[in-house]
Amino acid sequence: MVEMELKRDRIVIRLGTKKWEWVLEPRYWRNTLIWAAVLFIFPTVCYFVSPGLINTMISANIYAAIAMPLALMTIGTGRMNFGPQFYIGVGGYSAALLSIAYGWGPLTTLPFAILTSMIAALIFSPLVIMARGLYYVLLTLLLPLVFLEVTFIYPDIFKGDTGLFGIVPLLDTGNSKINFLVIGYISTVIMFVYLWIINKILKSRYGLLMASINDDEDVAHSIGIHISKIKIIAFVSASTMIGIIGWFYAHYFSSFAGITYLPLTFMLKVLLVLMIGGRAQVFGCVVGGYFVAFLEMLMIRFMGPIQPVLFPIILLALLFVLPEGLFGLYRKRRYREYLPTIHVRR
Amino acid sequence: MTPLVKVSNLTKRFGGIVAVNDVSFEIYQGETLGFIGPNGAGKSTVVNCLTGYLPATSGKVEMNGVDITRMKPHERAHRGLARTYQIPRPFPELTALTSVLASSISGKKRVHQSFQDAMYDATHYLEFVGLFSKRNILARDLTFYELRMLELARALATTPQLLFIDEVMAGLNPGEAKNATRMIRRAKEEFGITVFWIEHVMAVLMEAADRIVAINYGAKLAEGTPDQVVSNDDVIEAYLGRGWREYA
Repeated sequence: MVEMELKRDRIVIRLGTKKWEWVLEPRYWRNTLIWAAVLFIFPTVCYFVSPGLINTMISANIYAAIAMPLALMTIGTGRMNFGPQFYIGVGGYSAALLSIAYGWGPLTTLPFAILTSMIAALIFSPLVIMARGLYYVLLTLLLPLVFLEVTFIYPDIFKGDTGLFGIVPLLDTGNSKINFLVIGYISTVIMFVYLWIINKILKSRYGLLMASINDDEDVAHSIGIHISKIKIIAFVSASTMIGIIGWFYAHYFSSFAGITYLPLTFMLKVLLVLMIGGRAQVFGCVVGGYFVAFLEMLMIRFMGPIQPVLFPIILLALLFVLPEGLFGLYRKRRYREYLPTIHVRR
Repeated sequence: MTPLVKVSNLTKRFGGIVAVNDVSFEIYQGETLGFIGPNGAGKSTVVNCLTGYLPATSGKVEMNGVDITRMKPHERAHRGLARTYQIPRPFPELTALTSVLASSISGKKRVHQSFQDAMYDATHYLEFVGLFSKRNILARDLTFYELRMLELARALATTPQLLFIDEVMAGLNPGEAKNATRMIRRAKEEFGITVFWIEHVMAVLMEAADRIVAINYGAKLAEGTPDQVVSNDDVIEAYLGRGWREYA
């Protein structure tokens, strides 16, 4: 039986022997609201100034939305997954295949994309318990590459190089500019929902348990943390969230080809978003996503054909100059704002 | 009197090396059991087997009459086993408060304990070990003595019945060592815990331990009161070598 109690600054929820407190302190919402307002006004401004920017914004939101679950997975499992795009492939292909075969719209394919990503993640979840270090890196790196090969081996199903076409679009208002604008908002909402959920998890007791596992797995185990359970939950939930991005890609472009998302180049971009934002910082992923997407856009516009070579070099150079990442620089000096603290009133 | 923990014929092999060989002893509620032996005798391996960090090759470990030999470390922690490490192993990216908080929420199951309640609980243990003023400092920035105290607070926050202390005096100056001993005694009295204490500094154990178990080459040498153990010829020989009488 759930018992809820409203106190002055919090809602207390009791279920069986468990108790949660949801602290509601509007004075801490100011910065979040300012940033949310900026991001929600941005697509409308772009719509009138330069509609092309909406496309970059969608890319930025989606990069951030891939990097944030990856950050959660990295913290929760204490291991760096080098193949998150595998779940983009799983989610994307399930949505695409179902949409083409049965003519299903995005809302109908979404639960199936979630389900298949979850099942795939559950199948591969023992990796986070059995493999560590280089073995884990190699195994996760291989998964998307093997999947890419599978898409070529079975061209009747996955259509290999050309990919799947004719997927029901995410939105069709009849006006392509309006479509873009609304999809821009959808991507922002996805990014915000991910940010909110992951930030809530990381600030909760489960986030603290994950941080302990990330710091020292053996010690975490010895103080009573069921590390296998936490690692599998973190792995499966983050992979499912990445799978949803595959669904978004499939319906957004109305086509889905493994060759676009499964190779190492795409993974490199996601990892750079994660690192440039600030080594697995959830807010850093947003900073990193926007930084990488806009840098890519500027380089395509001004650098011409040399861009594919210069882009990763610039990003790698930035990693050397800013090892803590853009957001990490800020967080390093003000870590107390991101960990629970107790202040004594004198 | 039924023992809190009963270790029967515990053996641990690493390939061909027998690190712990058929060791049996009991730990009784409320006592301080000293555990001594020369370097490489297998003391830490025994603790690792008892806390579940290493699986025992054979033998049986019982706690309150329940067989815990095959239990995972987190299950043993929930049953009331906690430990500190020979070389402190803090969570470097967590503050002192959050390190203890992690123990408080993951140790022995407590009814109706929210995250915020656990935080106040953690401050109590930090205050106890004298680290309350350092609560918001990252563990990696603490001194060696503070890390030892943080480990103690982290272990106490799991509300253990039995606390394994692995060479707490190593690396501490005499003043700090005295404080650490006092702290462990206070913890024993205030929280009603049983202490299993591995130590090289015999003076400390002579004063603090109710009983002592001595091992060498993984096998039990002697067991008894501190006076009985230190006057045991086998124990002296293990520390000083054969033929020590010639030089005595």
